[in-house]
Formats: sequence, C-alpha cells, structure tokens
Amino acid sequence: MAYWFELAAGGLITGGIYAVVALGLNLQYGLMRIMNISHGEFLMLGAYLTWLGYTVLQVNPLVFLPVVALALFALGVVVYWLCFQRITRTAPAVEVIEARSLLVGFGLMFLVQNVANLIWGADYRGYSFLTEALDIGGARFMTNRLVVFAFAVGASLLLLAVLRWTLIGKAVRAMMQSPTGAQLVGIDTRFLHPVVFGVGIALAGVAGALLSMVYEISPGMGEPYTVTALIVIVLGGLGSAARCLLGGFLLGLVETFGMHFTSPSLKMLLSYAVLIAVLLARPKGLFAR
Amino acid sequence: MKLRHSILATLAAALVLSTMPWLLSDFALAMTLTCLMYAGLAVSWAMFCGATNYLSLATAAFFGLGAYVTTWTSGGPLPYGVAVLLGGLLAAAFAGLIGAAVLHLRGAYFAVITFGLGELVRHAVTYYEKAFQGTVGRVIEEPPEAVTIYHTVLLVSAIAVITALVVRASRLGLALRGIGADEERAQTLGVNARHAKILGFALSAFFAGALGAAMAMRWTYIDPPTVFNPFIGFQTVLIAMVGGAHTLIGPLVSSVVFSLLTEFLRLQFPYLFLILLGLLLILLVLYLPGGLASLIGRWRWRKSNA
Repeated sequence: MAYWFELAAGGLITGGIYAVVALGLNLQYGLMRIMNISHGEFLMLGAYLTWLGYTVLQVNPLVFLPVVALALFALGVVVYWLCFQRITRTAPAVEVIEARSLLVGFGLMFLVQNVANLIWGADYRGYSFLTEALDIGGARFMTNRLVVFAFAVGASLLLLAVLRWTLIGKAVRAMMQSPTGAQLVGIDTRFLHPVVFGVGIALAGVAGALLSMVYEISPGMGEPYTVTALIVIVLGGLGSAARCLLGGFLLGLVETFGMHFTSPSLKMLLSYAVLIAVLLARPKGLFAR
Repeated sequence: MKLRHSILATLAAALVLSTMPWLLSDFALAMTLTCLMYAGLAVSWAMFCGATNYLSLATAAFFGLGAYVTTWTSGGPLPYGVAVLLGGLLAAAFAGLIGAAVLHLRGAYFAVITFGLGELVRHAVTYYEKAFQGTVGRVIEEPPEAVTIYHTVLLVSAIAVITALVVRASRLGLALRGIGADEERAQTLGVNARHAKILGFALSAFFAGALGAAMAMRWTYIDPPTVFNPFIGFQTVLIAMVGGAHTLIGPLVSSVVFSLLTEFLRLQFPYLFLILLGLLLILLVLYLPGGLASLIGRWRWRKSNA
C-alpha cells in the first residue's frame, strides 16, 4: 500500500512541475498565438540562476525564488519587445503568427542554449538541498521533493486565483475568448501582451528553480520540458488554466504508472502515445465539453 | 521561365554536378553531398508545406524510416537502388497513413502532432531494436562506393526538384496553393482538399525517405539518434523558410548557404555557430519574413519602377 502511495505521489510531484511549465506556455499561446518553442530554455536559465545563487552567494533557493521570478519576468518582457512584438503587429493572419513565432522560438532556443553552453559548459551541475527523507503514512519522501511539489502547486493556484478574481485576470480571460472583442471594450493589448508573456517566462523560471533543487542541471535540460508542456496543453485544451493544471497531473501520473508497468525506457514513448491519442480522438482537449 | 526550360536547366545543373567526384577533393565532395541532401529535403518540404502553409516537423521521421529500410533488409542484401526506392515508398506510405488521420488539424496543432509522431517513431524503433534485436545501432556491411552514393543522392534531389516544378504547374499544385490561401474557399470551388493534402504530403515524404535511405549508406553505422535526429528536420524547415518556402529557388539557394556555413563554422566554433544561427534566424523572420527569395522580388519591383 505504501508503495502505491509513493508511486502516485511521485506522479503528482512530476505533474506539478509539468503544470507550472505548461501554464506559462498556455498563457502565451492562448493569448497571443505565440508558439514559444524556446520556453524550456527559460526554465534552464531559472535553474542556473538558482544554482548560482546557492553556490556563489549562498542564498537559500527558496528565498531566491522571488528574485528568479522577477529576473525572468523582466527578461520575458524584453524578449517580447525585441522579438515577438513585431510579429504580432505585422503578420497578416493568425497562422502566420504561429509559423513565424515558432521559427523565432527556434532561433531563441539555439541562442540561449548555446550562450549557456559558452558560459557554464555542457557538464551537469547540481547542489544538494533538503535531502533528508521524511516519513508520511509509512511512505518515505525526500523533503526537497515535497517542497518542490508544494511550491509548484502554490504557484499554479496563485496564477489561477489571479486569473479568476482580479481585473487584470478578467482582461486576460476576455482576450483569450475574443481578441477583437476585448480590444473593442478598451483592454490595452500593448500593456497586456508583454506582461502576460513575462509572466509565462517567469513561471518557466520558477519551474527551473524548483527543478534545480531536485535534479542536476545542464544547458540542454529545457527542451524535454517544452515538449512535455506542449503535450499537457493538448491534454488540457487551449486557454484554460485550470484544465492545464489537471492535464499536468494526469500526464505525471500516466508517465509514472506507465513506467512502472512497462519499462523506464518507454517514458517518452508513453507521453507521445498519449499526445497522439488525445489529438486524434479529442483535438479540443481531453476535458472539453 | 517555362516549365520545359526550368526542367532543362535542372538537368543541366545535375549533369555538371555529376562530374564533381572527379574534380573535387574528398572534403569538398562531402560538403557538396550535404548541400545536395538538404536541397532535396528542403525543396520537397516546401513543395507541400510551403504551398499549403501546413508546418510539418515530421521530416526527421520520414528520413529515419528510409534510413532504417536499408538495415531491415540486411538478410539478403538488397541492391542499393532498390533500398532507396523502398525507403521512399515506405516513408510515403507512412505519410499517407498519418496524413489521413491528422491532416484535418491546422496550425500549431499540426506542427506539434507531426513532431510528436516523429519522436514516437524514433522511440518505437529504439525500443524495438533494444528489446527484440538486442542492439542499439547497426553497421552496414559492404557499403557502396562514395561515388555511387553521391550520384544516387544527386539523382534523388534532381528528381525532387523536377517533381516540385511539375507539381507547381499542375492541378495538384494549384489545389495545394488554393488550400494554403483559404482552405474553405478552395473546397467550395471544387478542390478535393483531403485528397490533395494526402497526396502532396506523401509525395514530399517520398523524397525525404529516399534521401534517408541513400544517406544511410554513407554513415555506415546507423542508430536511432543519428538518423531520426530532430536537427535534420529543423534544419530542413529553417532552410526552406529562410529561403522562402513558397518559391523553388529560395530553398535551393539557402540550402547551399546553410550547409556551407554549418560545415565551416560548426567544427571550429560549435557554440558560437549556433548562437549566430539563432540570431540570424530571428533577424530574418522579423525583417525579411518572405525569405531570401523576396529580395529578388523586391529588386525586380524596384527595377520595373525605376
């Protein structure tokens, strides 16, 4: 029994991280049709920032988390201004925005990943943080994993609350439903787009900071998370943050239990099989009504 | 230029290129081979994706499938030409099958699912090889001579260019461009969009598969990470879009530029090269979204208005 509990908890912990990464990407895509394939690269930057903070400045990673979030938010706004603003303004159709932003995303991916390679080298880095085990109901967990889970879920719920109960959240939801309609009732795109893009990048950075407490980090660590985020978005359907959170947990569970019943080398195969099955059967998302 | 003239020009260029093995050094020949491979891949990608605005990221999957055909038939060694043809046909059949299932999806969904399918095939092949064959890679015994490989790749790429020319001038090409401009309107005007899309997708996959089979022989050792390398797919898409995916000359020119850049810079400054590539890509998309080919258009426009 404790074994199954551990397994399920493991799936949920992975799923929590997936959800945070996917939420940011979902916001960007849902609001601006920006397919930011370099999303995982900003996760990597968040991880390296936290690692630097811990090893150079000796700051507790959890205390450093707001700094990472703010730094990546600022970076996200700058990246939006430099790269994506022109695309959303000049593209004649939505599909063109998607295609061009995908290409720019590839460019950013090459750029950021290799700048990181130049600065820090391709080796794996890591630090140990809160590694003692904890007993809960007969099951044993590493403390850092539980902390990561709590913060991932906390960040996701915070975002959900902001979207649901604040004026700016209402504006974001309105823009997801109808971009033109939202502009007609006076919602300022020029303000909202960079801010939402920045928030998406900040979420990726937070996910990276959390991951660095548990796993070793490297410049190439972001890419798989981009793909996973895409899968989660497809699972949850576009434009809904709550379903995206659900999708993240679901994928985490499917992966963990799938690996348990088959073999660990099938992990990616499982994720892609889920992605393709869902896209074929329910292209609007698993939970679409 | 009329269709006949374009085809003749392609054949002439192919003829000139076919003498290269006796004129160039080994290093230069290897570089030319890479150029030819990417030219074939980019032109066949643009033939479908450029015309219809469907962004397919499955090139690596077709390429890898083609490459693996050369090893699966190792029981009785197939003649090289047959393996290349078979690789192309298998990739085309696979494309037709998945095309029938996923070509109703548009935009980013299509891009994501084609990428996912490519990765699915790669992981499936890896798993199959490990679990049932007990290997991670395969060595190709008795590969054909370098000159033969060069001529085969040249032939496949030349046929790809000619096919792209013929398709552009045909009803199929018109239908594909119509779908790219406005799919619903094209359907209203009597285009069977489903058939046209599946046919175009399979046709472009044929060349990717054939090139994969042809190039596999050169590597002599193949394993899933090399032949299903997503970088091959990305590079193809980048080359085609940077050149101008709706034209034919654009992908051809940019495949030469990109391959030369890659070969010269990647070995010496691997990180710096990719940083430059990323920057170049961003700047091109932002300030020259029609691709390099739109420069020619602008120049002509200016001349006629001078």
